[in-house]
Amino acid sequence: MANIAAQRIKREFKEVIKSEEVAKCAIKVELLNDSYTELKGEIAGPPDTPYEGGNFILEIKVPETYPFNPPKVRFITKIWHPNISSVTGAICLDILKDQWAAAMTLRTVLLSLQALLSAAEPDDPQDAVVGDSIKKILKCPHANSDCDDKIKRLVDMGVEDHQARVALSSYNWDLERATEQLFS
Amino acid sequence: MEEAMTSSQGGESDMDYSDNECYDEYYNIHDDSDIEQIDPRKIDPEYFEFRCLLEEEVDRLLNETVEALSSILHISPSLAKVLLYSHQWNVNEITKKFRENPTSVLVSSRIEPATTPSSLLLTRYIICPVCVTPQPLDKFYGLSCTHMFCKDCWTMHFEVQINQGISTGIACMARDCVVLAPEDFVLKHLQRPNMREKYQQFCFQDYVKSHPELRFCPGPNCSIVVHSCEMKAKRATCTQCKTAFCFRCGCDYHAPTDCQVIKKWLTKCADDSETANYISAHTKDCPKCHICIEKNGGCNHMQCYNCKHDFCWMCLGDWKSHGSEYYECSRYRENPNIAHESVHAQAREALKKYLHYYERWENHSKSLKLEEQTLTNLKARINQKVMSGLGTWIDWQYLFTAANLLAKCRYTLQYTYPYAYYMDAGPRKELFEYQQAQLEAEIENLSWKIERAETTDRGELENQMDIAEKRRTTLLKDFLDV
Repeated sequence: MANIAAQRIKREFKEVIKSEEVAKCAIKVELLNDSYTELKGEIAGPPDTPYEGGNFILEIKVPETYPFNPPKVRFITKIWHPNISSVTGAICLDILKDQWAAAMTLRTVLLSLQALLSAAEPDDPQDAVVGDSIKKILKCPHANSDCDDKIKRLVDMGVEDHQARVALSSYNWDLERATEQLFS
Repeated sequence: MEEAMTSSQGGESDMDYSDNECYDEYYNIHDDSDIEQIDPRKIDPEYFEFRCLLEEEVDRLLNETVEALSSILHISPSLAKVLLYSHQWNVNEITKKFRENPTSVLVSSRIEPATTPSSLLLTRYIICPVCVTPQPLDKFYGLSCTHMFCKDCWTMHFEVQINQGISTGIACMARDCVVLAPEDFVLKHLQRPNMREKYQQFCFQDYVKSHPELRFCPGPNCSIVVHSCEMKAKRATCTQCKTAFCFRCGCDYHAPTDCQVIKKWLTKCADDSETANYISAHTKDCPKCHICIEKNGGCNHMQCYNCKHDFCWMCLGDWKSHGSEYYECSRYRENPNIAHESVHAQAREALKKYLHYYERWENHSKSLKLEEQTLTNLKARINQKVMSGLGTWIDWQYLFTAANLLAKCRYTLQYTYPYAYYMDAGPRKELFEYQQAQLEAEIENLSWKIERAETTDRGELENQMDIAEKRRTTLLKDFLDV
């Protein structure tokens, strides 16, 4: 691994550890190997969002050309968000692509991701299904509790929470059709 | 006949130098002399002045512009390049804007930052924010935004960007800073000769692509750049690889249709052609004896080998009704009651309309290919004749001229169909389709006569060539709007 990259990651690692966000348990990084090429990140779901109370694990891969190229980041924790793939965890965020600047750090990346969780952009989705459902939910203010009800009913029937969500969202939150699919 | 030919080819003769034209000019020197006095711009709607430049010549041309601007505005050539690149090389516009408000021009061209930079820390050692190593101040460099980074980091940054194909668009390394690195700054930090070369090559490509008067020849592995002061959708032909293309969009030449319309049409064809292919099969039945017929020649005038019935391949109507003044076949008569019909019928009508034009577009494109075949056959036939003592090689040259003209006319005819498809119904469309029908009729006549050249009289053939070419130029004069 290039000298600059390792040097930078070492330094940034310390920066995150010392930052005030860590003190508040909002962000966290862990080294996965000695060569500083792979890290585990963790961000807390921002308050006043559906993600509040959740901890989201991230996989961070540092390329050889870091910091001249952005780190490769994806969600390990399954997440339902229009700009994050619900299957692979791939993230659609400009600073992880062409808007990356060499002066940015792991701390700024983690904070930007946290900001992305609180400000979704359903019009530019990574996951089209999630983008569409989010737009529908945003249109109808009571939808949220309605969805919770439907999930609860499926869970009561013995379905796992995650499976219930998948089935419901793929059938446009039609409880009958989701049930049919789950028990067929 | 030669008069019409030479006048319309006046603009191309210097690039499209085939042997037969050399002979043509040799034999028709007297006809030419009075033509040269007439401005070709007025006679030929397709006349286009352009030059094919080598890389060095383009470099010289660009450098002249850069030097002119840098001396007018008293800025470095490197900054002049950034300005020119962001303003499509329009020196007058830049000068005018610069005189009015220099700061806004520099900010919008990403030469200077929008906000005034904060003052620098002037300690002897500072830490580079990228490689986080403390280094003496004299190792630090920055752009007008004064974001300072060490020399090695700049070099790495540039190398990484260049390897990703970015050259004129390399920005400062600071977060949210959009200031671009000008050429001299980049080159100062690039030591490796292959990186410098790569960078300059990419810059050159960006400059040519941003310059409205320049266009790379789209031919495979061709490095020629075409230059023209007329930024119009006209035909340019590369002197090196002979590729002919539209100067404005770089795609196949498409008169009388314009760049946006042809793009729309080609996308539509790419989307719909599967259906169209399926519906319009490659064979048709003879309208009289119903024997299955495959078209194997360019001409639409078909003669059934079984019952000897003459008919039109497009409409399957009797050929006799096509010969005279109305060539109804190329005209698509829109159903006037469409507004009263259901959505379903409207969709069917739309598909029918599209298929009508697509079928003809496809048909002429196929004919063009088949006629290439005819030309090869023609060569073989002429060879045979010369060998058996029926005239000399020169005597038969007029057939090649005729075949070339046929290809040119059919090419234009092919591109009239997308034009007609996107035209609004009205008297102008009627006029267009009338002229299109006239052109089509003459082209089919010409094709028929060329295929049976031995039995056709030379005078008659040349007469037909003249008529076809005149129809083509008339249509272009009236409808080519570039």
